[in-house]
Amino acid sequence: MATLTDWIGRCCHWDMSTTPVIEVERLNVRYGDFHAVKDLSFEVRRGELYALLGTNGAGKTSTLETIEGHRAPTSGTVRVFGHQPGDRRVVRPRMGIMLQESGFSPDLTVRESVRLIGTLTRRTDDVDRVLDVVDLTSKAGRKVSQLSGGEKRRLDFATAVYGTPELIFLDEPTTGLDVQSRDHLWTTVDRLRENGATIVLTTHYLEEAQQRADRIGLMHEGTFHREGTVSELTRTLPAVIRFSLPPTAPALPLQAVTNGGGKVAIETFGLQKDLHILLSWAQDHAVELRDLEAGPTRLDNVFRAISS
Amino acid sequence: MFPIAFSELIQIFRNRLVLVTSFIIPVVVSGYFVRQHETFAALGSLGYIAAIVLFTVAAFGLYATTVTTLASRRQNLFLKRLRSTAIGDTGILAGLLLPATVVAVVQVAAILTALAMVAGGPANIPLLVVAIVATVAMLLGLGLATAGLTNSPEHAQVTTLPVTLGVIGVASWVGISGTENLALLKRLLPGGSATEMVMNAWNGGVALTDSLLLLAPTLGWVIVAVVLASRLFSWEPRR
Repeated sequence: MATLTDWIGRCCHWDMSTTPVIEVERLNVRYGDFHAVKDLSFEVRRGELYALLGTNGAGKTSTLETIEGHRAPTSGTVRVFGHQPGDRRVVRPRMGIMLQESGFSPDLTVRESVRLIGTLTRRTDDVDRVLDVVDLTSKAGRKVSQLSGGEKRRLDFATAVYGTPELIFLDEPTTGLDVQSRDHLWTTVDRLRENGATIVLTTHYLEEAQQRADRIGLMHEGTFHREGTVSELTRTLPAVIRFSLPPTAPALPLQAVTNGGGKVAIETFGLQKDLHILLSWAQDHAVELRDLEAGPTRLDNVFRAISS
Repeated sequence: MFPIAFSELIQIFRNRLVLVTSFIIPVVVSGYFVRQHETFAALGSLGYIAAIVLFTVAAFGLYATTVTTLASRRQNLFLKRLRSTAIGDTGILAGLLLPATVVAVVQVAAILTALAMVAGGPANIPLLVVAIVATVAMLLGLGLATAGLTNSPEHAQVTTLPVTLGVIGVASWVGISGTENLALLKRLLPGGSATEMVMNAWNGGVALTDSLLLLAPTLGWVIVAVVLASRLFSWEPRR
């Protein structure tokens, strides 16, 4: 990974001012009668990893496409680096976009595609180094039509990080990637962040957002259902302790839900205290708590709570 | 613009279907007209052959390629990808259309040079150039407009037929029957005035002022084509 470090080390002198990278104010997007985004306001700060999440049809894509400059807002204002997102000449050299769907010409090779799109971003980089970063060096001469779905995602990622932009949009970046490629991609993103890059992420893999996002905007029906840090979002729901008990175990010291297979779940707003009670009880009664896990609720549950 | 044009050129040469249907067939058809120039000159005039060559290349070659290319690049979201970079819309379109336009102009120039060598050259070369430029501009505009109504490259085989057959029909009608009858109608149809300009330029014998008047309906069609294009063209596939 020495090449990657060099590559990032050589990168530009970013403007480290404190103005937000993205400012969205009372954004509305309508398609005919359908009101896709309603009065949405938020900002993304420099160096942040901001995850824009939501249920299907919540307005994420409309919001993202407006910020990227692919779509004009019906009303409200969007500023990226203080400029209109549609001002491509000014804004685009500073941002990399990984689209949700690939959009490469099947007749061009991998190297030609990266060179073309990279050149058009007006950033400078070495095509071979970028291909190395996304592990596509061995496919450089292949036509895009011969790539697998995961390889196309990596090609897309390559064009987004070409020239180390200050702001990177990752729209479903890991869909179709195997575990290694996924880890590899996140390692690259982590390096970029160490150097101050701002990331806007959408994903259906909520654990990725839970692990990595500084803040999350959780959209539902065109507006924010919740916005905040991961812990602010998960704190609204009880933490969970799970384990399996043998049928011979004595009665539990806490209120719990037990299913048929001996699996137990305890929901609690006092995780540390209740976990202590449980562990002491298990110690005293010499009970083994198999597959024990304890932690804040997962984002999945925050999502489930939206519709209920 | 030029990086896009270069990549477009690569793609044209890698895609044999586009290469054959859009670039080789028009040349073969035009070659046939040049070879049989005595027959076709007797039917119309040498100017008629020049007009048919121009419209065969510009309609079957350039126009059809424009529609097919744009529909294909839109369908696979390549247009959206290009719009995710720092280049503006005009630069994108210019880059995408430049190679096919240059190829078409080179084809027309080469075939008409061949015609001039075997059968005698045009009376007024600047007028001929003006007619060619106007025709190319009109068909590029119509190509952009038609692309807006075309969902896929396959669909382009259908959506391009009205314009390709229409302008070839008009060019043949005007070229063979002249403009003594129904002059107004013939001159107002798309390609009608351009055909007459090409014939005047090649055959001579018509006052330059009369020929330049024909520029008005021809440029009128260029404007119509551009307006239609700005209304109909879309960058992203319909969902």
